[in-house]
Amino acid sequence: MDLLSVLTIPKDDPIAFTFFTGYMAMLAASIFFFFERSRVDDKWKLSLLVSALITFIAAVHYYYMRDYYLVTGENPTALRYIDWTLTVPLMCVEFYLLTKAAGAKIGLLWKLIAASVWMLVAGYIGEAFNPANGDSSHSVLWGVLSTVGYIYILYTAWFGEVAKLAAASNNEVVKKGVRTLAWFVLVGWAIYPIGYMCMPDGWLNSAFGWGSENVDLFYNIADAINKIGFGLVVYSIAITVTEQNKAKTA
Amino acid sequence: MVARGLFFMTKAIFFFISSLLLLVPLFSFTGDISTSDQLLLTAPFILLFGIPHGAIDNVLYLRSRNIKNGHFIAIYLVFVAANVAIWLIFPIVAYTIFLLLSAYHFGQSQFTHYFEQQPLSLKSLYLFWGVTILSGLLYFNISEVHIVMLQYEEFASFSPLHKEPYMLFLFVISTAITASLIVYLTAKKYLSTENMLMEFLVISLILICFYLLPFLIGFSIYFIILHSLKVLKEEYHFLVAEKQIGSIFKFVQLISPFTLFSVGGILVLFGLIYLEFIPFSYGYCLLIAISSITLPHVFVMNDFYKLPFNKRKAPEQV
Repeated sequence: MDLLSVLTIPKDDPIAFTFFTGYMAMLAASIFFFFERSRVDDKWKLSLLVSALITFIAAVHYYYMRDYYLVTGENPTALRYIDWTLTVPLMCVEFYLLTKAAGAKIGLLWKLIAASVWMLVAGYIGEAFNPANGDSSHSVLWGVLSTVGYIYILYTAWFGEVAKLAAASNNEVVKKGVRTLAWFVLVGWAIYPIGYMCMPDGWLNSAFGWGSENVDLFYNIADAINKIGFGLVVYSIAITVTEQNKAKTA
Repeated sequence: MVARGLFFMTKAIFFFISSLLLLVPLFSFTGDISTSDQLLLTAPFILLFGIPHGAIDNVLYLRSRNIKNGHFIAIYLVFVAANVAIWLIFPIVAYTIFLLLSAYHFGQSQFTHYFEQQPLSLKSLYLFWGVTILSGLLYFNISEVHIVMLQYEEFASFSPLHKEPYMLFLFVISTAITASLIVYLTAKKYLSTENMLMEFLVISLILICFYLLPFLIGFSIYFIILHSLKVLKEEYHFLVAEKQIGSIFKFVQLISPFTLFSVGGILVLFGLIYLEFIPFSYGYCLLIAISSITLPHVFVMNDFYKLPFNKRKAPEQV
């Protein structure tokens, strides 16, 4: 009986709705990527495994977050950041794996991971320890610091090492794939700061008259787009290159 | 003629997005800032980057033309004088011309790296893109604009142009036409789909910037980063390609005289107002001065953008 009451989704609660659909979508994507690994060339198997891990880790966290939200009605901030601390560096691993064939060194991976951890730790401090007295200086300061990490990753994807390596790869599929991932970083990842600025006393709430419940709405939408989208781009590259190779050998 | 599909984000766009992400929260945290404080904050940057981007019009226009520098400057000054005369006799006409030319110029500098030749549909895009951002700037900051209009009596004659319904109408119409033109040019293969998406993203971010930030700060972020720095970069690469300069230092040396001359001229103007030789407010005189610099600059840049790509594009744009 308790379980049933926990799982009741209020009809007028889009956040609870997105928690449930997010959970199922992540789980379905994981199963898809796991099974599709067998259809691609060996050198792409690790990339697809990482894609599957990203969505699987997210699915597990969403399983807990949706219940936490339904029982307490609060933002599951700690669970959310634990999820991101594991999955965002894995997205950076995808960039590294894609450009490895073009000569990417392990240093690139560590730089991207360091930037993503910086971004997340600063974001967590800004969000989890935001004072409830209406003073937004704490969240603004840590939000700006977090943004510096994001800008570094954005630069690396569009102009820096990742972009240069993709250009040097002489593989149109990889070039296009890296560019698509760069678009995800530019547009998809930019949804997270919107959610961050909706926290209690967040300035987007005062600018647009929004409420703090939008934090989870934006985060859930962003997670679905980015985690599943990232994986699908990698899958698309892997399957295209595999089919090209098959056609060559046939 | 077709846009080259190798690049989708310029460094100016990257720098603009980064600045927006960092500055918007900071400025929204600081609360309301008076127009004079905004001017104090933005003036150094406008003087440092805004004025220099128009300080080598003579070099850009003369190129290999058989015209003497002195003649060019004389014609330039005639333009300036004619503009001042129009401001004194028909201020509304002068103000409208200034806004329209600025709109075209902003649009041209935003899109010109995509196109080597410029048919009418592209020129329309330049104009409507510029009208979109200028009408958006005025509409989103209409209360600040009205305060300035009420502060200085010379601006009173422009009030009918800034009525909220007109601004909204102009903004909606120009946005719709701009969006349609971008889609049309994409369908005609002048722009790639990614170019189109990037341009939609950029114009949205510019308008968000104008909506969220105070009037002068929002405009300055756009004007300095997306416009002035981009044009300065194109000018630099042109001069390097022409072998007129070999380093940034030489470039700074080249743009310094007319930059200092322009800043000095504005200071002299302000001095004359202070001594009551000129019966206008500082803001109004600044507007006339800026429009007088803008008028010939728009024509020079229009001529500059007729150059082939290899003469005017930065390496990462090629």
